[in-house]
Amino acid sequence: MQFTQQMINGITIGAFYSLVALGYTMVYGVLKLINFAHGDLFMWGAYLGLTGLNILLILLTQLSGWAILPVVVIVMITVALVGVLVERVAYRPLRTAGRLAPVISALGVAFILESLARNIYGASWKTYPNGLTPSGGFTLPGGGRVSTMQVVVVVVSFLLMGALYLFVQRTRIGTAMRAVSLNHDVSRLMGIDVNRIIAIVFLIGPGLGGVAGMIVALYYGSFDFTLGWVFGLKAFIAAILGGIGNIPGAMIGGMLLGIIEAQAAGNISPQWKDVIAYVILILILIFRPTGLLGERVAEKL
Amino acid sequence: MTSFEGLLTRLRKVDSLYWQIGFVLVTILLPLPLGDYHRTVLWRTGIYAILGLSLNIIVGYSGLFQLGHAAFYALGAYTSALLNLHFGIPLLLTLPASVIVAAFFGYLVSRPILHLRGDYLCIVTIAFGEVVRLALVNNIFGLTGGANGLSGIDRPSLFGQALRAPIYHYYLMLIFLLITIVCVRRLENSRLGRAWMYVREDETAAEAMGIDTTRVKLLAFIIGSGWAGLAGSLYTGKLTVISPDLSKFLESVIMFCIVVLGGTGSIPGVFVGTLGMVTLPELSRSLRDWRDAWLGITMVVMMVARPEGLWPSRRVQLEIRGEREEALSST
Amino acid sequence: MLKKLALLFLVIVLVMPVLAGCKKEAGTIKIGLEGPMTGDYAYEGKGFEKAVNLLVEQVNEKGGLLDREVELVIEDDAGDPTQAALVAQRLVDAKVVAVIGAYNSTATEPASEIYDEAGILHVTPSSTATRLTEKGFKRFFRVCFLDDRQGLFAAKFMKDALGAQKVGIMHDNSTYAQGLAEHTKRYAEEMGLNVAFYDAINPDDTDFTPVLTNIGAVGLDVIYFTGYHAQGGLLLKQSADLGQALTWAMGNACNNPELVQIAGVENAAGTYVTTEPLPKDVDYPEARQFVSDFEAKYGESPDSVWWMMAAEAFNVISYAIEQAESTDSEVLAKFLREEMKDFPGLTGPVLGWDEKGDRLGTIHLAYVINENGEFVVNPQQP
Repeated sequence: MQFTQQMINGITIGAFYSLVALGYTMVYGVLKLINFAHGDLFMWGAYLGLTGLNILLILLTQLSGWAILPVVVIVMITVALVGVLVERVAYRPLRTAGRLAPVISALGVAFILESLARNIYGASWKTYPNGLTPSGGFTLPGGGRVSTMQVVVVVVSFLLMGALYLFVQRTRIGTAMRAVSLNHDVSRLMGIDVNRIIAIVFLIGPGLGGVAGMIVALYYGSFDFTLGWVFGLKAFIAAILGGIGNIPGAMIGGMLLGIIEAQAAGNISPQWKDVIAYVILILILIFRPTGLLGERVAEKL
Repeated sequence: MTSFEGLLTRLRKVDSLYWQIGFVLVTILLPLPLGDYHRTVLWRTGIYAILGLSLNIIVGYSGLFQLGHAAFYALGAYTSALLNLHFGIPLLLTLPASVIVAAFFGYLVSRPILHLRGDYLCIVTIAFGEVVRLALVNNIFGLTGGANGLSGIDRPSLFGQALRAPIYHYYLMLIFLLITIVCVRRLENSRLGRAWMYVREDETAAEAMGIDTTRVKLLAFIIGSGWAGLAGSLYTGKLTVISPDLSKFLESVIMFCIVVLGGTGSIPGVFVGTLGMVTLPELSRSLRDWRDAWLGITMVVMMVARPEGLWPSRRVQLEIRGEREEALSST
Repeated sequence: MLKKLALLFLVIVLVMPVLAGCKKEAGTIKIGLEGPMTGDYAYEGKGFEKAVNLLVEQVNEKGGLLDREVELVIEDDAGDPTQAALVAQRLVDAKVVAVIGAYNSTATEPASEIYDEAGILHVTPSSTATRLTEKGFKRFFRVCFLDDRQGLFAAKFMKDALGAQKVGIMHDNSTYAQGLAEHTKRYAEEMGLNVAFYDAINPDDTDFTPVLTNIGAVGLDVIYFTGYHAQGGLLLKQSADLGQALTWAMGNACNNPELVQIAGVENAAGTYVTTEPLPKDVDYPEARQFVSDFEAKYGESPDSVWWMMAAEAFNVISYAIEQAESTDSEVLAKFLREEMKDFPGLTGPVLGWDEKGDRLGTIHLAYVINENGEFVVNPQQP
């Protein structure tokens, strides 16, 4: 019974990690840059969602679950725009500046975003309005308990991931993205406007991240400004686990990480679960840096 | 830009004896007219300068991404603390042990991951930094005192006198700082130092020239990490209380920024970086809540304006500028 | 062109903060406040600032202390020990008469070393680690109560009032929570309770379903959580979502209405909390006065017991200064230790201090959260 429950727990957490990992993996794919600011963009999604819902609450005095949808759309667009802005200001000028500078720039953006959140919203925990998410659940024959919200979250996550996957595989823009991930110069020769494609990636990646932030906040109910950092790092581990630059990899990596974490926390010790996650990351990078599905990482002739 | 470059060219004559003597004199005399708080700030600047110089070997000379350097700082600090608390070894005598322990962990960590590409090395080092911090917080083997850390460590004592006042710690630190500078300069100009720079510039070519790149990179890690351990011991001696916060990611980021913002691969660059990342923010406390944002803005602006840092080694500058010109001329 | 602008901006960025940091002097009585104004504990640090500022204003309106204006010098240690040491040095150089702070024991500890060496009176409102008063510092005092007293109370409560036999204790690896958990475990075992679960979560966690599932499987009578209210709230909510029916007890860091907000009223109801009496239950006019003054000035009530403690620290210091008619730390420390007894404080009567500097008298109460999400005194006390 415990095992089933931990699996359920793990899959839920995993779905979140997958969603956030998508943003990382996409950006890394086209720019070979670890967007450290991604976790904070995700966190901003949670905050903006809260503001949006509060505004609606004032206007409508009562909210039903459907109020979430317009707010989600607005949050997605806003965070997406912030993402594009960040790319333009902090990353684009550095594309030819070596490998160290973009990392610092990304970290700088992360600090700015976190500081802004802490100063604008305050240091205390924020709670989403009640009653917006479906409650209740059911019990599996094996004995584990699944809440309706969990089902919603996992389904939505998979739908989003599926949509993204189809987009990247089946559309022209998606193909262009894959080309740009392989080689900027050749893509340019093929007539692809690399800057535009990168901008689009920064629309979609952060946009998804923002939505993920709102979903996470809705699910847990409360959060504070430290949300971005931890989730970001875990999601990044998930992306690497699955093979960075690879969308199905992000999905699988996220799920796997969530399940491992849940099992570790449940059966070994909750305080060591993060260490276990990091150790797994280190081991993966040592022994199978390609991740489960991904590209080659080591530079060997 | 040209006037800045001109300034830099003139500053580069720092190699001259006058500059060196001047530097030593200034660092010796500076704390004398100041109060204890400012002396402590100077001490802290010096510690970060040592850390920056140690990281410069890994990041600056060898071009390896190390975003978990603070872990070795912490390991050195805890080694000194434990040896002092459990075995009563006087603090100054624990210094070699911290260096060795930190260097050893540097070896352990780097050995399996040196073949990784830059960004991946970056992530692994971050992960390692967190593992060390969490292990310390979780009171691994019951040794590390948990989140509270360890306290009651002795002060370093010279000639039977325990060093209490900030000024003594400053001078103790200064001795090590000067030693560090001398050693690093020697390394810079040695075969090993040149090998590091070749590896940074083009690893494949270096390998082809017969350089054992793995060994060279390992040495960078070992030496850099060991040195960070030394800084950790000095820290322990002054504060007498240490906690897992020493291994925080933010610490590693600050050290990384010191090296890159100050000027990758150059010793004066590390000092510029330390002043910018440690001393100035300390003196600008009135910003309080917005200090993090300010730090972030500085980082972004600096990188966009001058990605090689304020005072980079000429080689690095050429590398980065050269790459840009190449890239720009091809579009 | 862009590059030149960027460089100019950079110069401004670097220079401005230094210029902004220039200060002035005055012939006032300076009292230092050291706390985490930024960083993870900013919520508490900011609360300290508000609470103490309120009292400083009130004192100054009445003419100050010893006919001199009181000036509050606030420094941010971000909850970090290295920062704390630096900031302590700053306060020493600023020639403060006494210092209130810091919030967490990790920061208070290095700071206390510096204050002791400088001979400055140091009163902490909230650092409960036992180690702090074991160094023999003559000018260090605590306005809060030690972890071990609350641990003892908690163990007794679980055994006597709740009739538990198999208990679990969980902390979050922060210095305060860990200390409290350890003490509780010790006393619980001494009393013959079976501590069947003892573990910790990480302070940054949001998802506790794995550990909750684990706890559920052990079959405990009570689970005592010593961490902070935000996670306490999440634990309660997630536990309910899992369909569990655990009996929860929490330590005084969960003594905060936000706990109920985060958990949801239905999920929080029935949870016990061991804590110093809440402001509204402290039946002293001073306390009620303070609460209403605070609400009047800031538009919110002082929700955290630590903010009250910070105010209490200031109270104690200013009382000592008035009564001893001196700002000399030796004199003040002596006064606090020997002469200050039964002072009507806003966290209850300040009975005095023992030679180590710990506050005498434990006044812990067990509260329970009722169906309206209010903290009410539990009918059964140990």
